[in-house]
Amino acid sequence: MQQQTSILKRVIRALGPLPWIGPAVVLIGVVVVWPVVTMIQSSFMKISRFGVSQGSNGLDNYTKLFDEPDFGGVMFRSLVWVVAVVTLTVLISLALAQLFNQRFPGRRIARWAMIAPWAASVLMTAIIFKWMLDPEVGLINMILHDLGLLDALGGADADPLGRASTAMPWLVAVAVFVSLPFTTYALLAGLATIPADVYEAARMDGASRLRTYWSITLPLLRPALTVATLINVMNVFNSFPIIWAMTHGQPGYSTATSTIFMYILKGTDIGESAAMSVVNFGMVIVLVAIFLRVSKWKTEVS
Amino acid sequence: MNKRIIGVAGAGMAAALALSACGSGGGEGGGGEKAADGSVTLKLVAADYGGGPSSPDGGDKFWKGVVDEFQAANPKIKVDVQVINWNDIDKQVATMVQNGQVPDILQTGDYSGFVKDGLLYKTDEVLSPQTQSDLLTKFADYGKVDGTAYGIPFVSSARALFYNKDLFAKAGISDPPKTWDELKADAEKLKKAGVSQPFGLPLGQEEAQAESFLWFMGNGGGYKDASGKWTVNSPQNVEAFTFLKGMVDAGLTTPNPGTKDRKKVWEDFAAGKVGMVNGGPMSIPIFEKGGLTNFGVTPIAGKTGPLDTTLGVMDWIMAFNKNGHKEEIKKFFDFFYSSSAVQKISDTYKLLPVTTSGIEKLSSDEKLKPFLTALPNATFYPFTDPKWSEVNTQMKQTVGNAVTGDPAQVLGAIQKVADAG
Repeated sequence: MQQQTSILKRVIRALGPLPWIGPAVVLIGVVVVWPVVTMIQSSFMKISRFGVSQGSNGLDNYTKLFDEPDFGGVMFRSLVWVVAVVTLTVLISLALAQLFNQRFPGRRIARWAMIAPWAASVLMTAIIFKWMLDPEVGLINMILHDLGLLDALGGADADPLGRASTAMPWLVAVAVFVSLPFTTYALLAGLATIPADVYEAARMDGASRLRTYWSITLPLLRPALTVATLINVMNVFNSFPIIWAMTHGQPGYSTATSTIFMYILKGTDIGESAAMSVVNFGMVIVLVAIFLRVSKWKTEVS
Repeated sequence: MNKRIIGVAGAGMAAALALSACGSGGGEGGGGEKAADGSVTLKLVAADYGGGPSSPDGGDKFWKGVVDEFQAANPKIKVDVQVINWNDIDKQVATMVQNGQVPDILQTGDYSGFVKDGLLYKTDEVLSPQTQSDLLTKFADYGKVDGTAYGIPFVSSARALFYNKDLFAKAGISDPPKTWDELKADAEKLKKAGVSQPFGLPLGQEEAQAESFLWFMGNGGGYKDASGKWTVNSPQNVEAFTFLKGMVDAGLTTPNPGTKDRKKVWEDFAAGKVGMVNGGPMSIPIFEKGGLTNFGVTPIAGKTGPLDTTLGVMDWIMAFNKNGHKEEIKKFFDFFYSSSAVQKISDTYKLLPVTTSGIEKLSSDEKLKPFLTALPNATFYPFTDPKWSEVNTQMKQTVGNAVTGDPAQVLGAIQKVADAG
């Protein structure tokens, strides 16, 4: 009897926090878990083009997906895309954060200006870049033409988005451009948390500027760096509007990443598209796991 | 006519939403709910041929005019209209179907997908014999799946070759080309006269399947042969693309055609950068808006002579059976096809009628004449074949590679998609 009431008490105590975390749990369940479950379910079903389920399809969606002649190229490109965009973004942001952490006249304005690419819609930015690269009337092409770097407007030379070899660098550049503000601000916040006395101590010990940056700033910046990189990896991997607006993944599938491929598949085969989403989802989890392992995010800074 | 310039992030959002919305079926039950006074409300969902709700030619205004007139004549039937733009209508309708909130009447670019799911009334059930007999036979036949008609032609469109008369004069060309050789020779002359895109060639995602089809036809090819077998990589089609590849290599076309949408090429034509381009009645307003009025319209050049057919594209109207409003829908359809609405569509949006009486009414319009004469003999996409949607997607995405890579190989890969399963 005594024991029973104590168990009851313990259960009630364990449930105590529920009213506080309950709404969050429900929200996560409805917004995150349920769609994921539905997505995985859909990937094993035969679904008509208009979304009417026609029963189980076994593993056929996956077989069909892996047999797509472009699947391998698309996955490889997604990986290159993520690594290129995130690496460039982080490197440039580290430099920018350092710059904006200095005191200089007009710093406030410069910091505000940095927000602009963030405040503008990504789709809008991508379309504007597409216009600027238009072979007939694109601003960038016109400037190149005026500088004598481009022979004639309207031809293939004035059409960087028309070939994968020249389109990919532009897509990466736009993706970096829109990722910079967030990353820079995250790192700037990280820099602000580093106490001044550590630097003072380093100066007393006669450490060079480079040495100070390498041994003090970077290690102390690691939490901010990890979070910024992680969010970028997920964002960039799932990035859709830039590529879709600028090239539609064309010519062929030569500029398509897995997100674009998933969207194109959705037009004809929702089941296969769902399978692609599951593969995508798995990829993100694997990438994040690898990244966390490499960055040893839990170990203390020594 | 299908303004599907699907390049929007909204589409991306819709993709995510639609994916997560799968499987949430069920919902409100069917059965014709009637209001207490015995009146019935029909829900009509339609695509917007105009420029959105704020523009004077917006679909909302057009349908309001039709519905007001209909309701005045049929006080017991109310019609709720929802106009959706071309980019979103397929996805929004799919969501409606998934949630069990199907409309009574849908006007959009395709009907065949709904037939397989058993969602539509047969045409016989919702259209009177008089109206049925007025529809162009060749058009109405495409509304059939396995011999039974479900889709009702709504409006149509055809293609012809547009050429810029000023640029032709500048290059010293007197007549538009009739054969491929003439077309190539003219393109070379235009190039010499400083035209950056002598022939506008949109093989990008928006409508590569249309431009390709016109070239297939020019060589007696097509997507399917007379027996209904897929022939995407037939020798005729490969030859057509080999010719195009030669044009592209010589710099006589739009650069990198595999990435260019027709809208962009039409705009370049309107801006006087393109010598000639295949287009339809729906491109006339774009050209005129861009300030180009001195252009000619002529049948499309084929390998040995101008085409005696053209690509016809139809949009459809259809009736869903879920809510059981058969009689009311019939009244509405018969009213619509006999009213002045059809002519209003042609006037406003430069789309072509699908009825014999409609063509007669328009026969005095000079600019539409080349299209109206070609209409009864038009050729259509094989869209009643369930494989078409996959072939279509693959064409849109990859056929542009046939003018940079090996035409036989690229078309062969698309043929494989058609033959699979």
